[in-house]
Amino acid sequence: MWRVWLLFDPRRALVALFTFLFVLALVIHFILLSTDKFNWLGGHAPPSAAAQHMSTLPEPAKP
Amino acid sequence: MADEKRASLSGLTETEAKEFHGIFVTSFIIFTVIAIVAHFLVWQWRPWF
Repeated sequence: MWRVWLLFDPRRALVALFTFLFVLALVIHFILLSTDKFNWLGGHAPPSAAAQHMSTLPEPAKP
Repeated sequence: MADEKRASLSGLTETEAKEFHGIFVTSFIIFTVIAIVAHFLVWQWRPWF
């Protein structure tokens, strides 16, 4: 495996790798921030276990 | 060139390549361990499956 560094210049490879990882991390963090469940900066609280069983549909009318 | 081993495409010698590879692998393992810990903590916070 070490022979890869005979092919690729480590300096360029590291710059490319760090750039890729940084952009990937940025994208993942912004995607998570845009969700309700995984936004760690407040926002909407995630639905509780009880709320998950609640339906938005009204109760069927009883005769 | 005569006293050095054949020049590689990257310009590194085999010794330099092996030395850099050791640092690279160690750094990768540390990065992976940190990532695993971070994912474990997030899973404890809010599992995603």
